Amino acid sequence: MADKLWFLLPEIWLFVGVVVLSIIGLSKSKSLRDSLPFVTCFFLIVAFIMTPFVYSADRVADAPLLMPMLGKYVKMIVCAVGTMLALLSVGLLDRPLEAAMAEGRTRFDAIRVNRGEYFAFFLLSLIGVMLVCNANDLIWLFLALELASLPTYIMVAISRPSSKAQEAAVKYFFLGAMSSAMFLYGFALLYGSTGTIVITELRDAFTDQTLSEGGLSRLAIVGMILSIIGLCFKIVAVPMHFYAADVYEGAASPVTAFLGFVPKTAGAVALILLLSTVGWSNHHGFNVDGLPREILTTLWMIAVLTMTLGNVGALLQRSAKRMLAYSSIAHSGYLIIGLIAGPPFGLNAVLFYLLAYGLMNTAAFAVLAAFERRGQEIESLDDLAGLRRRYPVMAVVMAIAAGSLMGMPPLLGFAAKLYLFIAGMNAGHVALIVIAALNSAISAFYYLKLVALPLLAQSTPQSETVIPRPVVWPRVAAIITAAAIVILPIFANQLIKASNVANSIEQSALLSATDDLSLVEKVEDGTRH
Amino acid sequence: MLLAILLILPLVGAIAIIASPAKHAKWIALFISTGIFIYSLTLAMSFEHWTDGQFGLASEKPFQWFEQFGITLSVGVDSVSLLLVMLSTLLMPLCIWGSFSAITERVKEYYGWMLAIQAAMVGVFIARDLIFFYICFEFTLIPMYFLIAIWGGENRAKACIKFFLFTFTGSMIALAGLLYVAWQYSISSGDWSFDIAQLTTFASTELTASQQAWVLLALISGFAVKVPLFPVHTWLPLAHAEAPTAGSVLLASILLKLGTYGLYRFILPMVPEGLLYEVTLPLVGWTFIPLQLIAVLAIISIIYAALICWVQDDIKRLVAYSSVSHLGFCVLGLVALNPLGMQGSVLYMLNHGLSTGALFFLVGMIYERYHTRDMDKLSGLSKSMPVWAFFMVFFVLASVGLPGLNGFIGEFLCLIGTFVATADNTANPGILGPWYAAFAAVGMILTAMYLLMMVGKVVFGALKEPTVSHDSHHKPLPKDLSIREICVLAPIAVLCLYIGLQPKPLTDAIQAPVDEILAQYPPIVNRYHASQSRPDDFVLIQQSTEPGGAN
Amino acid sequence: MFTNTLAVDLNLYIPIGLLVVMALVFVVANLAMTHLLGPSSSGPIKDTTYESGMNPIGTARKRFNVRFYILAMTFLVFDVEIIFLYPWAVTFSKLTPQSPDAALFLGRIMFFIATSIIAYIYAWRKGVFRWD
Repeated sequence: MADKLWFLLPEIWLFVGVVVLSIIGLSKSKSLRDSLPFVTCFFLIVAFIMTPFVYSADRVADAPLLMPMLGKYVKMIVCAVGTMLALLSVGLLDRPLEAAMAEGRTRFDAIRVNRGEYFAFFLLSLIGVMLVCNANDLIWLFLALELASLPTYIMVAISRPSSKAQEAAVKYFFLGAMSSAMFLYGFALLYGSTGTIVITELRDAFTDQTLSEGGLSRLAIVGMILSIIGLCFKIVAVPMHFYAADVYEGAASPVTAFLGFVPKTAGAVALILLLSTVGWSNHHGFNVDGLPREILTTLWMIAVLTMTLGNVGALLQRSAKRMLAYSSIAHSGYLIIGLIAGPPFGLNAVLFYLLAYGLMNTAAFAVLAAFERRGQEIESLDDLAGLRRRYPVMAVVMAIAAGSLMGMPPLLGFAAKLYLFIAGMNAGHVALIVIAALNSAISAFYYLKLVALPLLAQSTPQSETVIPRPVVWPRVAAIITAAAIVILPIFANQLIKASNVANSIEQSALLSATDDLSLVEKVEDGTRH
Repeated sequence: MLLAILLILPLVGAIAIIASPAKHAKWIALFISTGIFIYSLTLAMSFEHWTDGQFGLASEKPFQWFEQFGITLSVGVDSVSLLLVMLSTLLMPLCIWGSFSAITERVKEYYGWMLAIQAAMVGVFIARDLIFFYICFEFTLIPMYFLIAIWGGENRAKACIKFFLFTFTGSMIALAGLLYVAWQYSISSGDWSFDIAQLTTFASTELTASQQAWVLLALISGFAVKVPLFPVHTWLPLAHAEAPTAGSVLLASILLKLGTYGLYRFILPMVPEGLLYEVTLPLVGWTFIPLQLIAVLAIISIIYAALICWVQDDIKRLVAYSSVSHLGFCVLGLVALNPLGMQGSVLYMLNHGLSTGALFFLVGMIYERYHTRDMDKLSGLSKSMPVWAFFMVFFVLASVGLPGLNGFIGEFLCLIGTFVATADNTANPGILGPWYAAFAAVGMILTAMYLLMMVGKVVFGALKEPTVSHDSHHKPLPKDLSIREICVLAPIAVLCLYIGLQPKPLTDAIQAPVDEILAQYPPIVNRYHASQSRPDDFVLIQQSTEPGGAN
Repeated sequence: MFTNTLAVDLNLYIPIGLLVVMALVFVVANLAMTHLLGPSSSGPIKDTTYESGMNPIGTARKRFNVRFYILAMTFLVFDVEIIFLYPWAVTFSKLTPQSPDAALFLGRIMFFIATSIIAYIYAWRKGVFRWD
């Protein structure tokens, strides 16, 4: 019990943050209310620093978890990207109200301010993601996923005073509820098939089923496929991708950036945990040969459809946010390649890709979030035309983000995509890699617009009316993330090592593997002999 | 480390340019690129493997990137690579110096991108790791994209997007092919590696003929776009016509060579069986021999582009299409599979780089003065610009292949190589032959016709100059070439003459690596001929001689 | 390389397919049968709202003040708290006094109460209890 709680220290710390934020948000002092995003950042940074100490080798050794070190990696990237996302949200909420109060037109009214709640929900959602990677039973997994999702529905609704946001939130909520029902039903079937909800026991039960009956029971397969499809909602994959464009467009840009990273991470981590129970070929110390064929086929089809639909859909968009929404779909398709490939390389790739995608997604939306027109945020691609003349740095950031999303060397997106492709190839999925490569080529077509419009196009009368938001922090976040995209590829090897440790299962191997790659070698030896 | 400096120096220079004031940008760029050239000269002087075909100057402790997959940023050059490195380091200062008067806005960015593209180009030639090669190969796209998109002509938006998309799509497919080879290697040896030498040996000996053929198709779709070969050449005239002069020079002289270099470095050594394997396309059921397909496409490129040149009014487009035509010879020489053709082809890469680069400079100089490239509006310029006319005639003759100048030797060797590439050639049998050579020779004649016609119209005849109003922010140029412009052209001209008169050192340098690549071909080609002559035994031969499966 | 991913025994999906078909048939058949078999008559009287024989007054879509909801939610929070506290109290009395177990037990409920108090402060600051 205490062991389990120990790993939750970052979450508990962030929960303290939630409490503090929701109280500060109701303060009458404007400077206190203005400090909210920075308090959020403070809590996230402390959690970031705290995490490596929490996951010390001796603590991890007897953790009752399937992938004990998963939490370290995921929590750290969530905190890091989360800090950037919090900076994006500076000055987003309550602008009309704050303006009215500043002019003395209205008095402070606690029930009408939403800022404290926004940042509290922001942290709660991040806590949800962090809890996902600590999950050791299906109930926990379900609750953590819901904790990651539920606050986002409200964040979408309050993110801007527009009926579009309301509409987006309602759509998002209902479809989200449907997907939750779906994977909950899947979980129930898994329980029905094995009689347990504990993930480590599920894995043993599935191993027994495979060994004794030559495969998983039908109930288990149906349960697993339902769970996967339900989780597709979180990672924005076909067949649960329909909401993406509308919701991403409806929400304010900082929230859209949040939606692109946080639920996706939660869903991907949950998929890693779930799929690891039914096995991958050459998994660490796991003797079932590969994913069951039905599940593999499902994932394969999801991957192909997701990346193709995402990329083709993005080609047709004129709204930058809708385009990035479809690009988010496409990137989920790439992500699933890693899930199909399985450990160690495939999972390394997924975890690495999540970090890369989080950063480039944040950078792209940060540029959108940094500008506005008459207090309304910019949406159309045309609003970016000729940005270079007036705001060269932001134009360059947008180009870097788009280049990285495209997979252009030497940026971070290329490193992540390359690793993903090699991992997929390593698992023998040649056709999948060819399709993904062709998709990358298609994607260049629309990402180029994000490079060309800000950097090369002439500004139009329409785009001249675009001005920066009065706060500087979205621009700061944009510059930091862009710098990370340029610099992190140099450290790609170290990041891969970290993610490799994160998805390893064997506890004994872990202690020796925290700093080198002996684990990989060991596994490779194991599968070869 | 010695070679890595060639990569790092331009990047440092690019950063220095961004950080310094705009008026110094061009001088910093010129200084650094000249420094790099001098440095590469000293490297070439100290290079020990000019004639033995070995790789030298390798880094002892290369940077490990993805350790698990054995991706390192390792470098090393053999004589062919070093020659191409020299070509790019030589042209870069000339390009930079040549754009002093043409580039007047966004100068910092311009020279920054110029140095960035130099790093990428050199990186392609010195890479000894597949991924490193690919990174540099792809990265050439970005600076070129911006060079065209910012400093290009009227139609630049379309040109740069077309250029980018064609090349990017091709190289993504090539990447899939390269990864496939590396994967097969990892299965057979148990370890991932992206070392070019290891993968080449592995692919040529262990992969089955059909696997090789598919890898070949993937790779060729990447490199053919870059070369460019006939059906995928359409980006090139547009990109050339719109690019600024220096961009055109780099594009023609070096970036196109990346395609032929890819053919030379990867396709020929890596997939010998695949080149002669009868591929049947699924669904449609067409069958073809890849080698023949490449040769036929090369010939189509030669003749088709030459015919287009004939009716061009735009001088720059004409030179651009002539590149397509010339590179066709280059590819034809490579697939002749004998030392003559391949040496000729490698020589052709260098010579085309020099003479076509110079032609683009010359066209650019005209454009700077008259703001037109229309042949109908320009005529008899020898009277007003004798120095320019001298260089124009000189480089056109070099390009046409006048004996005594550099173009001749390469083109001649390519043709001879193609001619003798038959089954009868016992030392190095090929599958082309006199017919292929005859068609290519038609292209040669056409080349002479359109280039000389262009010279006749523009240089000689009655003087016709368009009237030009000088805009204020361009400094007026002298009527004829300035000292700076002559200094840009003269080194190229000297080199052209020298290579034309004394090609021996170059052919000696190219000999050994070429022989090494060709060593594995004779048995494969003989087997192919045997199967062609006795179709009944084909299956039997195929079975008995195919190397074991990759697993 | 292609075969291992694409060839699936589709027979496995027969039960699901059957279930889907059954569900569809059930729904469609029921609707169709009531429509076809059931007697139906309509008229203006039949279409009016039935309100225990009275004539309907006003519209049915009446809005409640949002404060009712907020208050109801606050009530819910404290209600749930009671539900937790009650079993806790019953169990706590059975523990040995001053044992570590008891301390842990007490600590947990204190944490729970603390969060409730924070919730209360939040609700109070938010102005939930103000009715003006």
